[in-house]
Amino acid sequence: MVDRVTSQTMMRSAQRNLQTSVAQLAKVQNMASSLAKISKPSDDPIGTANSMRVRAEQRAVEQHSRNINDANGWLTTVDTALSSTTSILLKVRDLTVQGANDGAMSATAKEAIAIEIESLRAELMNVANRQYTGRSVFAGTSSAGVAVDSTYAFAATQEVTRRIGSDSTVRVDADGASLFGSGDESVFALLDNIARDLREGTNVNSRITEIDARRTTVLGAQAAVGARQAQVDRADEINSSKSVSLEAERSDIEDIDLAKVILDLQLQENTYQAALAVTARVLQPTLMDFLR
Amino acid sequence: MSTFSGLNTAYTALSAARKGLDVIGQNIANATTEGYTRQRVATSAVGALSTVGPLSGQPTVGQGVAVDSIARLGNAYLDQRVRLTAATAGNTAVRANVMSALEISLQEPGENGLSTQLADFWSAWQDVSNQPGELAPTAVLLEQAGSVVAQISSGYKDLQSQWTGLRNQAAGMVAELNSAGAQVAQLNAQIRTTLANGGSVNELLDQRNNFTTAIAALTGATVRNLDDGSAEVLVGGNALVSGDTFRPVALAAGTELGHQVTLEWSHRPGVSLGLVSGELAGALAMLAPADGAKTGGAIAEAAAAYNVLATNLADQVNAQHRLGFTTAGAAGGDFFRAGVTGPAATTLRVIPTSASEIASSSGGALGGGNADAISQIGAGTSSPDNLWASFVTTIGVAARTELRQAEYAEMAATSASNTQLSNASVDLDEENVNMLTYQVAYQGAARVMTAVDEMLDTLINRTGLVGR
Repeated sequence: MVDRVTSQTMMRSAQRNLQTSVAQLAKVQNMASSLAKISKPSDDPIGTANSMRVRAEQRAVEQHSRNINDANGWLTTVDTALSSTTSILLKVRDLTVQGANDGAMSATAKEAIAIEIESLRAELMNVANRQYTGRSVFAGTSSAGVAVDSTYAFAATQEVTRRIGSDSTVRVDADGASLFGSGDESVFALLDNIARDLREGTNVNSRITEIDARRTTVLGAQAAVGARQAQVDRADEINSSKSVSLEAERSDIEDIDLAKVILDLQLQENTYQAALAVTARVLQPTLMDFLR
Repeated sequence: MSTFSGLNTAYTALSAARKGLDVIGQNIANATTEGYTRQRVATSAVGALSTVGPLSGQPTVGQGVAVDSIARLGNAYLDQRVRLTAATAGNTAVRANVMSALEISLQEPGENGLSTQLADFWSAWQDVSNQPGELAPTAVLLEQAGSVVAQISSGYKDLQSQWTGLRNQAAGMVAELNSAGAQVAQLNAQIRTTLANGGSVNELLDQRNNFTTAIAALTGATVRNLDDGSAEVLVGGNALVSGDTFRPVALAAGTELGHQVTLEWSHRPGVSLGLVSGELAGALAMLAPADGAKTGGAIAEAAAAYNVLATNLADQVNAQHRLGFTTAGAAGGDFFRAGVTGPAATTLRVIPTSASEIASSSGGALGGGNADAISQIGAGTSSPDNLWASFVTTIGVAARTELRQAEYAEMAATSASNTQLSNASVDLDEENVNMLTYQVAYQGAARVMTAVDEMLDTLINRTGLVGR
């Protein structure tokens, strides 16, 4: 059956075509103004899933960057503390070598050295109690206010770690107990012993080896901290570049191609206007216009 | 052959032409009336009277024109196609509307969605891991946990109100259906009586067609035209309207999310109509409760997914949280609590209120190992994040499918209704041409009458005057 065309069917199809045209125009306008390719999951279900994954990864990367900054702070504090320890131990060694010259030193001179060594011990105690954001860096996960107390016992229990990547963590503290020793075996007790030996007139020559042994331990630990610092720096770099590529990926999934949308918009506007003009012309004439 | 029969023939022509003009007037008057079907005058030539007697051998002329009926140029097949496609279009439109409201309530993808909240929640655990026992990161964590809980709960409540809204919509459709059904029954009675009295029922048929199309769009009903002029409206094989009897229907119970809503016969409570198509079928399918196979009603399934998500989140975080220790060294308790009564999504609560209740450590007072472990739940394969992502994708795909189907069904319905209209609607040009025809026919008939009149005048008044 050939379709009859009547004024009503013409009107209806004109209306429907205009509606379709204006709906498409609205869609493109919405895209152009919101700048978002996906405004609801059905626009692109796969894109939605990807967008959610990328956003979660971005959030994780952001958090890792904060963790890395924190790890940096800890490691720098530990590193500085270890440098201070080395220089204090060097000073102590010099003083001990000086004090070992039994013949040349008077009791008063030895007493002066002993006092200086004691003050260096206090300084070393300070170094061992260094803090970063209120946490003693040599106290591990313990909540004690100081890492080392007056009996030279360390409160350290477990390692402090920071997550610097989705599957990597790094230790950011140093084990105070193994660095400085604890109780009578500690470097503080050693300094006390040297001061006591000097006062009692015992030769301190043998202590120099002990100091050197301690210095070697500290230097070794510092090297380890340096290596971890390098690991953190590397993680930071990786993290930064990951952040950039994730943002690019997100933009690729979610953001519109502005040039294309503007072109589409222009095209759609033209189409709509043409449809309006054509409709206005088509719907006008009837036979009545031509009958007398 | 009577002398005056010519006058009578011209008179039948005049009267037929006038009738034709009247019908054209009716057509033009109803050019924009919804559901009006154009009409035509059907005429036939009246044959000659049979003659008997000595002069019967002469050829005789017919007796003019007879108006047989006023025909309604409808097409039952096209009407049926309109009803059929309207049912499918109505069904898919309701489903598509529900799905698109559903996916909009997810607020994904973007910064306001649950996935962002969850990512922030896991990050907050990292901050706690970095600074266990500190006030600031704990406050952020508790705040963030609260906002995850609030988001899940508000998502669920959105679904509840959507369900209630759709339930009300379905109740409105049932009212519309009952009213249309009653009207059809009434029209059936009128049509039957009028036909029996030999009257014209064209306008009544138009009205009844409007109502049956409305019923078909609501329920996917089929219509059977009976010989006495009445129409039978069948839903799922049972008569909704039969002659002048109408059997009302009603929505049975089911007043909140998770309940089963059925459409049943008012006179046979408990017996479902068994709808398969139409808007009501779409609404009822969307209102259905969730089943184990995830094939239940979309709203209830989404609500069930929220509950699974809430339970999964609470279980995973709680399990890990219990392994840890607080800064005071106490073993960790539960972090989330899902209520015993009511849906998990709306009863989920955060238990800790201060830093001292958070089991961030896996050893040592200020250890952050357990907080870190909790933060890694989000990266696991069975994480709440993955559950959520697959839920959003499922809804997105389903919504896309429904929207597309609705578009196609709408196109089919439009095309069917266009074909029907192109057959039945009034074309003004055509009416104009017909008007001219009838006008001229009328003039011609009048002219014939004048000619016969003059002929008679000659015969009666001038005959026999020759030679006067």
